[in-house]
Amino acid sequence: MSGTEQTAPAFSGNSGTPALLASNLAKSFGAFRALKGVDLTINQGEVVALLGENGSGKSTLVKILSGYHVPEPGGSLQMNGLDVPLPVPLGEARTVGLGFVYQDLGLAPDLLVVENLFVGHRVADGLGSFARIRWSDERRRAREIFERYGVALDPNAQVGQLRPTSQALLAIVRAAEELREYREQHGQSGGVLVLDEPTVFLPESEKVFLFDLVRRVVGDGLGVLFVSHDMTAVREIAHRAAVLRDGEKVGDVLVQSASDADLIELVSGHRLDRSVIEQATTYGSEQAAEATGEVVLSVKEVSGGRLRGISFDLHAGEILGIAGLLGAGSEELPYVLFGDVPNMSGELHLPNWSGQVRELSPSKAISLGMALVPADRKQQGAVAELPVSLNMLSLSLKSFMQSGFLRLDKLLGTANVRADDYDVRPRDASLNMASLSGGNQQKVVLARWLEQAPRLLLLHEPTQGVDVATRHEIYELMRARAAQGVGILWVSTDFDELATVSHRILLCAHGTIAGSIAPPYSRDRITSEVYSATARGTAREVTTAS
Amino acid sequence: MTTNVNTPPDQAAAPGPGGKPRSGGLSRIFNGRVAEASLLPIAFALVIAGFGIARPDTFFQWSNFTSIFGLNSTQLVLVMALLIPLTNGDLDLSVAELSGMTGILVGWLNVNHGWAIVPAILVALAVGVLCGAINGWIIVRFDVNPFIVTLAMGSVFDGIAFWLPNQQTIPGISTKLTDWTALHHFLGIPLDFWYGIVIMLVFFYVLTFTPFGQRALFIGQSREVARLSGFRVNSSRFWAFVVAGFIAAISGVINDGILSAATPQNQGNLLLAVYAAAFLGFTTIQPGRFNAIGAGISVYFLAVAVNGMNLLGAQTYIQSLFYGVFLVVAVVASRIINRRRAATAARAAT
Repeated sequence: MSGTEQTAPAFSGNSGTPALLASNLAKSFGAFRALKGVDLTINQGEVVALLGENGSGKSTLVKILSGYHVPEPGGSLQMNGLDVPLPVPLGEARTVGLGFVYQDLGLAPDLLVVENLFVGHRVADGLGSFARIRWSDERRRAREIFERYGVALDPNAQVGQLRPTSQALLAIVRAAEELREYREQHGQSGGVLVLDEPTVFLPESEKVFLFDLVRRVVGDGLGVLFVSHDMTAVREIAHRAAVLRDGEKVGDVLVQSASDADLIELVSGHRLDRSVIEQATTYGSEQAAEATGEVVLSVKEVSGGRLRGISFDLHAGEILGIAGLLGAGSEELPYVLFGDVPNMSGELHLPNWSGQVRELSPSKAISLGMALVPADRKQQGAVAELPVSLNMLSLSLKSFMQSGFLRLDKLLGTANVRADDYDVRPRDASLNMASLSGGNQQKVVLARWLEQAPRLLLLHEPTQGVDVATRHEIYELMRARAAQGVGILWVSTDFDELATVSHRILLCAHGTIAGSIAPPYSRDRITSEVYSATARGTAREVTTAS
Repeated sequence: MTTNVNTPPDQAAAPGPGGKPRSGGLSRIFNGRVAEASLLPIAFALVIAGFGIARPDTFFQWSNFTSIFGLNSTQLVLVMALLIPLTNGDLDLSVAELSGMTGILVGWLNVNHGWAIVPAILVALAVGVLCGAINGWIIVRFDVNPFIVTLAMGSVFDGIAFWLPNQQTIPGISTKLTDWTALHHFLGIPLDFWYGIVIMLVFFYVLTFTPFGQRALFIGQSREVARLSGFRVNSSRFWAFVVAGFIAAISGVINDGILSAATPQNQGNLLLAVYAAAFLGFTTIQPGRFNAIGAGISVYFLAVAVNGMNLLGAQTYIQSLFYGVFLVVAVVASRIINRRRAATAARAAT
């Protein structure tokens, strides 16, 4: 119970009662069967990865465990050998030994670390609500807890001022600590921590801190359910992988004995065969490094946000990858070019417009044929409470006006056709955006901008939180657009993705373009180039000998 | 290439997912937090000094200060009514009219109907609680915007306040009430001021040191986070309005004591004064939070400023002008505090 595993994700085989034993969990939404009777076992001290495309039933399963969804009758759940009546009471999952950390972490950014850490203690009735909180004791206990889990956090810091990785660590420590309290009341056994895509927004280099913490939590005997698209992360910490597809469990394999290709095949099913993946990852090598088409965007000494003096050309028919670590400034480039950042300087030359970048605004950029797909789907990409049809066609409403009226019927008709074209599921454009999975929402966002027939596409992390199969669909979609002569700027911290799609790759470090990478591209080469460019500071020239 | 004299920023920030953003420790704390927190007290001192120099004969009299302390306790109490709903993220615009209506109710029962003063006060307090509960119930049960609901309810309270006494001032309220508020002194200051101080300290305790206050903070930040932490968000919001109603009724009773009469009047100035104080308070003592001590100090900052300007010969309309300007200033200042926080956070995230 005391030792923490260091590297090998080998599960020693705890023969005790499973921490979680779920059987025949099912859930339908109308006629759509999201989850078709799934079994799941998590042993104490075991990390089980839950894999599956968006829409495979993963989030439905997690939401049943959290009490958000009521499962159909016939399912059962045992925690630590005890039957738990379903549904799990909403907001009280911790009382049965379940702790959750979601992608958004559930922290209050304006409040202090110590306040967030102990928020679960504030549930009280009657006079208990007015019992004095001794903040000096609380801070001391917080320090003890952080020390025990080996994380460096200051109880007095404001959560919003922490790095994203530190925020994630805080959220995980909080959940683990609440489960430890549960275990104290239940003979030091049981307890399952559910991590729902916690690594998505973290820089690659800092994920190790999170893995260390998860290993420590598992070393204490907790079970962990790790929901993720991140194969590297799964391989790093999971013992076993349960794979869902179309609401059914299609695999339950030991991670050690399965290859990446095996897992991807399980996740994607027959829809994506192995040759497609292999073909895709070698795509760059067949292309010339120097694009030749007409220049559709020429950027001259542009500064704004973290960017300083950026210059490059983007050609028609080209996918130009911008590789940089989070904070390098590359994440601001699409927004600068779209005129959405204050205090910009420098010049842009487009075929139909030349001028200062500060004269640009989003509306002007759109009229010039630019399109921006932002990374933050929830806040910037789409409106969750509006139907798919409006989200998809909101930029084209003029074409649905007839004698002064907006023809909603035609709008819906066109949207349904597009849903078919772009393979948006379910095929019903009248549904609210919120009822779609992440991958399908992203297709709607892309469709929205492609509808404008842009000459210039600015993409920022366009496949963030999107499953493997949908990713490849998006890659194909973008290649097809490029082939039609559209210039595409693709900013991503997913270097595997950049290696797959880019015709040309520029390195971004410390707010400048630090050089370019010559083909053939691979994730490992881009990673090492980006890291060495970042380490070299503002060096301009990057040798790309292979 | 191997000799790196300057640590690249990315690496400087990278080692260990550290707690605080790096910067110059103590000096930064002093420049940031403390300076921010002490801005209003310093401004307060300057205002007092300024009026003291301009009107040393009238302004700098102990009697002037005791009257400022005593006459503004209605606001000192009433501003506390706002704090819990505001922390929850809800606006209650009905508190000033509710305060006025309960004040009328005491006079109406005591004078027009011959009730003893104590039962009259108890009924008025109960009515305050009931009205707060009605506000809270409508808002929570039907999930409607508290801004609109309390604006409308305020109008209802206002109507009743004029209707009960037939639009006339009710004079001759039991002298006991005036004795125990404005006339008896403790440490040379009327008792009603000390009632306000006690209520302020209770609110300071509740908001800073209790699970109840912590829940309100989380609810104000994110209803979703609060719900997933197991809080009963709607119940907390409901009780915040109930407390607001109760406190508003207390301020109404105290106001009767100060005036020894119940007068139906327009409460617009009172509402603006307490909102200006609540938001000014947000910028001081515990900056970034609606806090009781900051709000209390702000009430007297505004009161002293108005008093000084009156001594300089300004007419009563100066109040409207002044409270309006200060509410805008306070809201903008609190917004700047939040935005500066966000900017610091953005820098820390790189």
